[in-house]
Amino acid sequence: MTDQNMNSDKSQRSSFKIIEANLAKRYAKEKRFKALGLISIGFGIAFLLLLFSTIISNGYTAFQQSEIQLEIFYDADELEITNVNNEDEMLEADFTGLARDALAKLFPEVSGRKQKRARNQLISSGVDIQLRNLLEEDPSLLGKTKTVWVLADDDIDAYMKGHINRELPEDDRRIKDFQLVWIDTLEAAGNLKLKFNTVFFTHGDSREPELAGIWGAVKGSFYTLMVTLLLSFPIGVAAAVYLEEFAKQNRWTDLIEVNINNLAAVPSIIFGLLGLAVLLGFFGLPRSTPLVGGMVLTLMTLPTIIISARAALKSVPPSIREAAIGMGASPMQVVTHHVLPLAMPGMLTGTIIGMAQALGETAPLLMIGMAAFIVDAPQGIVDPSTVLPMQIFQWSDSPERGFVERTSAAIIVLLCFLVFMNSLAVLLRKKFERRW
Amino acid sequence: MNTLTNTGNSVEQQEIYTTVGTPTVENPKMSIRDMNVFYADKQAIQNISLDVGSNEVISMIGPSGCGKSTFLRTLNRMNDTIDICRVEGTIKLDGQDIYDTNLDVVALRARVGMVFQKPNPFPKSIYDNVAYGPRIHGLVSNKAELDEIVETSLRKASLWDEVKDRLDAPGTGMSGGQQQRLCIARAIAVSPEVILMDEPCSALDPIATAKIEELIDELRENFTIAIVTHSMQQAARVSQRTAYFHLGKLIEVGKTSDVFTNPTHQLTEDYITGRFG
Repeated sequence: MTDQNMNSDKSQRSSFKIIEANLAKRYAKEKRFKALGLISIGFGIAFLLLLFSTIISNGYTAFQQSEIQLEIFYDADELEITNVNNEDEMLEADFTGLARDALAKLFPEVSGRKQKRARNQLISSGVDIQLRNLLEEDPSLLGKTKTVWVLADDDIDAYMKGHINRELPEDDRRIKDFQLVWIDTLEAAGNLKLKFNTVFFTHGDSREPELAGIWGAVKGSFYTLMVTLLLSFPIGVAAAVYLEEFAKQNRWTDLIEVNINNLAAVPSIIFGLLGLAVLLGFFGLPRSTPLVGGMVLTLMTLPTIIISARAALKSVPPSIREAAIGMGASPMQVVTHHVLPLAMPGMLTGTIIGMAQALGETAPLLMIGMAAFIVDAPQGIVDPSTVLPMQIFQWSDSPERGFVERTSAAIIVLLCFLVFMNSLAVLLRKKFERRW
Repeated sequence: MNTLTNTGNSVEQQEIYTTVGTPTVENPKMSIRDMNVFYADKQAIQNISLDVGSNEVISMIGPSGCGKSTFLRTLNRMNDTIDICRVEGTIKLDGQDIYDTNLDVVALRARVGMVFQKPNPFPKSIYDNVAYGPRIHGLVSNKAELDEIVETSLRKASLWDEVKDRLDAPGTGMSGGQQQRLCIARAIAVSPEVILMDEPCSALDPIATAKIEELIDELRENFTIAIVTHSMQQAARVSQRTAYFHLGKLIEVGKTSDVFTNPTHQLTEDYITGRFG
């Protein structure tokens, strides 16, 4: 008896020693693991910061635009306008000439064709539209002088933002010495300033950087996403509810499930090819439109939505279903009264994440012609349009300095939309989440 | 399913077991004859015949996996939701076969209510929980009637005094015992004839359990109750008749006092004296 006790005492003590010796090792392992985790998070954050800092440092200048103050004299004789309401007269009138006259008054000493042309190029070629719009808004301007801030040319703008180094030899820069003199004069008189760039938010695409904006792309993205949402949410939720709540578990449902999971991993350009062949080729829907773009993106986001909706349905506790069935609710009532309301936050989250994915998608839209150069903002889902990521892609292809910064600025806008949508997903989940 | 058993032999190979005691009663509320239940090819219930008398509490006891929960769930066709489950035999409620194709399962469940092991109130207000049944079955035509049903149901479940001031509070925010009484109130709100209770107290503390047991005794006046329990003391306290299940068979059934004081079958005696289970 005592022998046994001593034995067990001994073995207890020795096993305690082993455990103690191992403890240090275990803790060291834990520390190493924690350190690895911290390092990887650090990497992630570092890359994110790098991304944001490059984009923001490249893009923030695009939110400003150089403008030149001119004294515009709306000369009815030069414009050959008798009636402001006459559209033909307004369209044929030479508004650019007004701006050039104003410039000539500022720099009367300029002589020679080359220099005169350079002087005229100080201002954007879109000045005529700006001046015409002003006159349309206020017909009483005819025959009067008005001080107007007009857009400066993109080269002037680039110089103002410090993208052109005046220390370089004259042949190596886009702004010549005599232009620099004008710029200095204008700046000294307060007639050349960086102002907030409203054009960027209100205009469609343009070949001139100072006239290019994202409004057309934003509208196109909006219509496209609306089509995607209206199609993919009901279809996705209905498919998920059927598969999860009503379908019998058999080989067919297994097959469907495997295929849905596979579809989620299909490269998105394949969906674009499908859209091109079926929607445009076979059904003859109008190309480059948000309608077709939305349908293609629906195909792309459906798997995401179905998978997340099914996960949300699965997370509804079976006891709630049992309770409802036990009360005599029909299968449809069980779903609509209990399961769907409880699964809705999860479904919404999945849908918004799918939408965010669709918002950033470019490849499939390339195939259905949404990469076209479209100046006007679309007025509906059957107007040709482009979308934000496509606009970014197109601008990134342009060599002008003004488009480089606008590319980054458009990326900033796109990222803002994405952050907004993802926070909305989090908010919705928080708001509608119910505990049971 | 927790009710799966290992007795996966086909019926032919098994001798038909005859239940000890008297499974029948006069004027039964429900009568079950030659019931066999299969999960795919596993047999969970073997040839059970049993009557449930009107206004009586019958308790089903037995070790885990003996088929008592499965048996209970076939009585209001809850097993319909399990694809692989198959039920043979006849189960009659007031002489009407409940597995008859003409009988609507939704109507059946309004007549045979159920209370589950884990309290499972809907994540809605207390009021809406109780009002749910009357609403979906269209039992009421106006708010006043509904209010009355909710109040009487909560009173019958002896919960009214505790919750009358917070009917809008979520049902899930109450204590476990209150939640289970809410589930009972929800079940009786549609005035069922039979209430099935599947281990209603297994998740509750002794005080809450005592309240539910008291409640069961009161409910017997108006309802027929079939209760599955793991606690033999509970069976002895609340029921008039007790059925002992073992491996999918109904071993013995009789008056509760007889079964507990003077069990006939060896297995029953072993179980209630605590030799296994």
